Amino acid sequence: MKKFLAYPVTRALLALVIIVILGTIFNADGAFFDWGTHRDMLRQVSVYGILACGMTLVIITGGIDLSVGSVLGLTSVFFSMLSIHWGWSPWVTIPLSLLLGAGCGMISGGFIARFGLQPFIVTLAMMVFARGMAKYVSGGQKISNYLQKPDGSFENLELPAVFDALDARLLGNNVTVVSVILGLSVAVSYLVLNRHRYGRYLFAIGGNEAAAALSGVPVLRAKLLAYGISGMFAALAGICQAAQEYQGDPEAGTAYELSAIAIVVIGGTSLMGGRGGIMLTLLGTLTIGYLEKILSLNAVGEASRLMLTGAIIVGAVMFQRNRAN
Amino acid sequence: MQENAHVLVETRGVSKSFGPQTVLSGVDFTLRAGEVHLLAGENGAGKSTLIKILAGVYQDYKGTVLLQGAPVRFASPRAAADAGIAVIHQELSLIPAMSVSDNIFLGRERTRLGQVQFGEQAGHCRDLLLRLGLNVDPGVPAGNYPISIQQGIEIAKALAFESRILIMDEPTSSLNQEEVDRLFEVIAGLRAAGCGIIYISHKMEEIYRIADRITVLRDGALAGTAPAGELPQEKLIRWMVGRELAAQAEVKDVRQDGIGIEVEQFTVQDPRGLPRPAVDAVSFQVRRGEVVGLGGLQGSGASELLNGLFGVYGRRATGSVRVAGAAYAPATPRHAIESGLALVTNDRKTTGLVGGMSIARNATLAAFPRYTPWGLVRESQETAAAEAYRTQLNIKCADVSMPVNSLSGGNQQKVVLAKWLDINPCVLLLDEPTRGVDVGAKQEIYGLIRQWTAQGKAVLLVTTEMSELLSLSDRILVMHRGQITAEFARHEATQEKVLAAAMGQSAAGCEAV
Amino acid sequence: MFRMKIAAMLAACWVVCLGAPAADKGTEANPWVIGMSQCNLGEPWRVQMNADVAKAAEAHKNLKVIFKDAQNDTLKQRAHLEEFASQGVDLIIVSPKEAAPLTPPIKKAFRDGIPVIVLDRAVLGKDYTQFIGANNKLIGEAAGKWVVKKLGGQGNIVELKGLMTSTPGQDRNSGFRKGIEGSGLEVIFEADMQWLEPNARKEMESALARFDDIKLVYAHNDPAAHGAWLAAKAAGREKDILFVGIDGLPQEGQAYVAQGVLDVCFEYPTGGKEAIASALTVLGGGEVPQDMVVPSRYFTKENLKDGGAALEE
Repeated sequence: MKKFLAYPVTRALLALVIIVILGTIFNADGAFFDWGTHRDMLRQVSVYGILACGMTLVIITGGIDLSVGSVLGLTSVFFSMLSIHWGWSPWVTIPLSLLLGAGCGMISGGFIARFGLQPFIVTLAMMVFARGMAKYVSGGQKISNYLQKPDGSFENLELPAVFDALDARLLGNNVTVVSVILGLSVAVSYLVLNRHRYGRYLFAIGGNEAAAALSGVPVLRAKLLAYGISGMFAALAGICQAAQEYQGDPEAGTAYELSAIAIVVIGGTSLMGGRGGIMLTLLGTLTIGYLEKILSLNAVGEASRLMLTGAIIVGAVMFQRNRAN
Repeated sequence: MQENAHVLVETRGVSKSFGPQTVLSGVDFTLRAGEVHLLAGENGAGKSTLIKILAGVYQDYKGTVLLQGAPVRFASPRAAADAGIAVIHQELSLIPAMSVSDNIFLGRERTRLGQVQFGEQAGHCRDLLLRLGLNVDPGVPAGNYPISIQQGIEIAKALAFESRILIMDEPTSSLNQEEVDRLFEVIAGLRAAGCGIIYISHKMEEIYRIADRITVLRDGALAGTAPAGELPQEKLIRWMVGRELAAQAEVKDVRQDGIGIEVEQFTVQDPRGLPRPAVDAVSFQVRRGEVVGLGGLQGSGASELLNGLFGVYGRRATGSVRVAGAAYAPATPRHAIESGLALVTNDRKTTGLVGGMSIARNATLAAFPRYTPWGLVRESQETAAAEAYRTQLNIKCADVSMPVNSLSGGNQQKVVLAKWLDINPCVLLLDEPTRGVDVGAKQEIYGLIRQWTAQGKAVLLVTTEMSELLSLSDRILVMHRGQITAEFARHEATQEKVLAAAMGQSAAGCEAV
Repeated sequence: MFRMKIAAMLAACWVVCLGAPAADKGTEANPWVIGMSQCNLGEPWRVQMNADVAKAAEAHKNLKVIFKDAQNDTLKQRAHLEEFASQGVDLIIVSPKEAAPLTPPIKKAFRDGIPVIVLDRAVLGKDYTQFIGANNKLIGEAAGKWVVKKLGGQGNIVELKGLMTSTPGQDRNSGFRKGIEGSGLEVIFEADMQWLEPNARKEMESALARFDDIKLVYAHNDPAAHGAWLAAKAAGREKDILFVGIDGLPQEGQAYVAQGVLDVCFEYPTGGKEAIASALTVLGGGEVPQDMVVPSRYFTKENLKDGGAALEE
């Protein structure tokens, strides 16, 4: 057992198992045993999970990206505007939205890597800036298919098919498309972190930036990549969020960055950088997802829900801390 | 030293193990008042464990510790400190941003009615520092002073609590000769005042200069204790390594044709922004197959020269450099690596290794693009390469997938060397390559340096250890305040001449460059 | 030096304010200036309130409105009120973030002779010209009565509540419960969705997983009703359930009714139009009642093109 718990992955897995067992105990009249409940949980947590993928890369470099929630809001507005109001094809709007997100991330990454600024403050600035831009672009209103014309009257536009497609279910109604997107995001992150040269560079930078730079690691490019990917995942999450709400909400994603950070840390990736992995983040995503689902199924009141969530997060992190040290 | 002199602290049959691994078994050790008791042994021999038991860091050990004859078991480092045992660590434990005086009284502030008596502390602090011959302002942040002064401040901290037992763990590892001399004067004073000092060092010259008695540990067990005068160096080394080391191989003239690196009018602006350049228009060359030693005191600019050549300071380093005949302008470490340079930095913990990463991944980090065709990692190739270095450099580890910081200092240093061998460099820049490395590993590293020169690599070596400089270098350049003040061929260099040049004299009898 | 300059500027302002004869004011060349302080433009409903004020003012060439957004910061809003007073605006419209800390600056401006119209949230005491607000309790009660009538007094209901620590959330809850009192309707699932659509969708999914028989969803705002509808649609049950929302903004609730998502939505009027009407009366020297409840409307597919119908008292 002791040896079993020596690995972060097994610890994260055990935390998830404990939460699922809690679910079977507090099963809300059997609702927990229905596959639909698990499918819905996966849908609800997908946006957070996608954000957490990018966050994992950044945290492994020893940084943090506070801007993901705002970038999510900005791209959800941008994507909705292009798709609904301008009627552009998703083959154009999706890549453009991803580029916008990656651009926001790379601006942060550029300031951090080039001028050695603190990631916390740079991404905090980007968080404020992107939120402002979301409000500016949208005029403070939700971008939906109900469009106000200059004369004050309203016009009901047709909702682009891409919204329905992204909010659909696959495999005989059993898996939502956004959950599949989460799976793909995890896969891409896994390839970058564990199979690509730059993934190794991210670990080296997080472990010891000075030593990495002196070993010829291109620190600037690697950090640009990490923050760029984080921004891109935030944009992807923004598209998914817009598709699920059938509109672009400039306030969408407020405080989501905190959930993403919590997921990464509960999984077992170290905030100090250099240690962690994307599979841990996937387990952390499921843990948070089940926690929220169980609280919601049992209709636990808001106040107790917040207190329970706080207590369980700190418990999970305690459990996940590195016993070796 | 009388046999029955007052015993300050004693261990009887002390053992300690971590899980199945025994790191200390049945060690007897005594420290008397007024002696410097040198604790020697290879890295991993159990010296640190013994010290940590005495300092109250470990509580779960077998055997007894007697303080002034009475058995004790310290519950915490604080308890040991209160009992008069002070440890001066290799890594300083001062808080750089706090003032000298606040550091000294940290955790035991002198208070009256809950108010810290800053004035009283400062006065007391100044007295203590003067006793140690340090002219330091107690109100200035400790981090503003050089390492050697900080070490003095640590000692003052120990004295402030009337510690009678001082444990010094390689206190001279980052000091220059002058500073070492001053430290030794302080130690002599403490000895005269009846303190007992446990001193850990790997440096032979130092050991015989300061030690009254020597205790050697090997593989966690006591190899022997003897008065320093009765323990010749060969025997000491035998005790430490358990075998006779091969006599230092005679260096053959293995120079090959061709220039490894050629430097002209090379200048490095001071990295901290001081007006005087750290390296001031130096010119020299290192031939292939040659070891050129760079001597100098702390702050001579030798380290900055190596870092500047490697592109650490970017374009703040200027001058004309040719590597293997091709023009080279330092820009970034990455560019330096691509141009055939390798730099072993003087501090493997902060700039040499990524501690949490595995041995294999550290060893392949510099040449990593080679293991990642099309950007994709070939882990099997990586492991194979690491295994090859493990054999070639005799890296002692259970598995190359273990984190590198689980290794002893000497083995860690070998991983650093493996990383640089992996890029097959033309020029090796070595900055204190044997710092914090035990005697056995030191000899192995010396052997490796000779191997590389035989392969035609050029080596530029910076070391503050005089015997290393004299025995390894084919030629010695001495730096002082950023300039090269002297050059000696191997046969004409002596310790005195090098030291004189390092202190800025154009020593008689040798040509100043 | 700097201080003297400020003093001189203030003095000049004062002279201008005093010196400008009232007769010259309120013309196209020299319009009345109204300061409008909004506590937070992060909510669409408040954006709508500003839009209503702007639209109503546009029709009157002798009015000029300066808008300020306090970004949900009480102290910022307080500073805005003080700025308006020192600028010498002719009238202040304020939608305060909270009562207690904003009462003193409002009181001070009012006592200094600037008429103050308070929108939506009341302040303490009676030191203001007019309070214009809608009554959440009445709206909730009307919604309850509508539901009783529609369902014939029988059925299971899901209530998606706004923040229960906020007055609107509490009032929309208690009003609704009063409205359905005595009927056979039962609230079988209630959850706090913090006014947010994604949360509402999540809670509705839980409700759908637990209960096979749900007749109606009463949501404390329209986006939450929309989120609940999306959850029901994903479960294929949106046709079996009625959806009721509150707020009735043109591009949210009214749009959802037009699309057939909501069966009814109850307007929570912003009072922006009424505020400008009152402002004109006050500036013209007229009298207005100190407290005014804005009448609310409700929208169904049938009455939408007629601009909704007034609530039955």
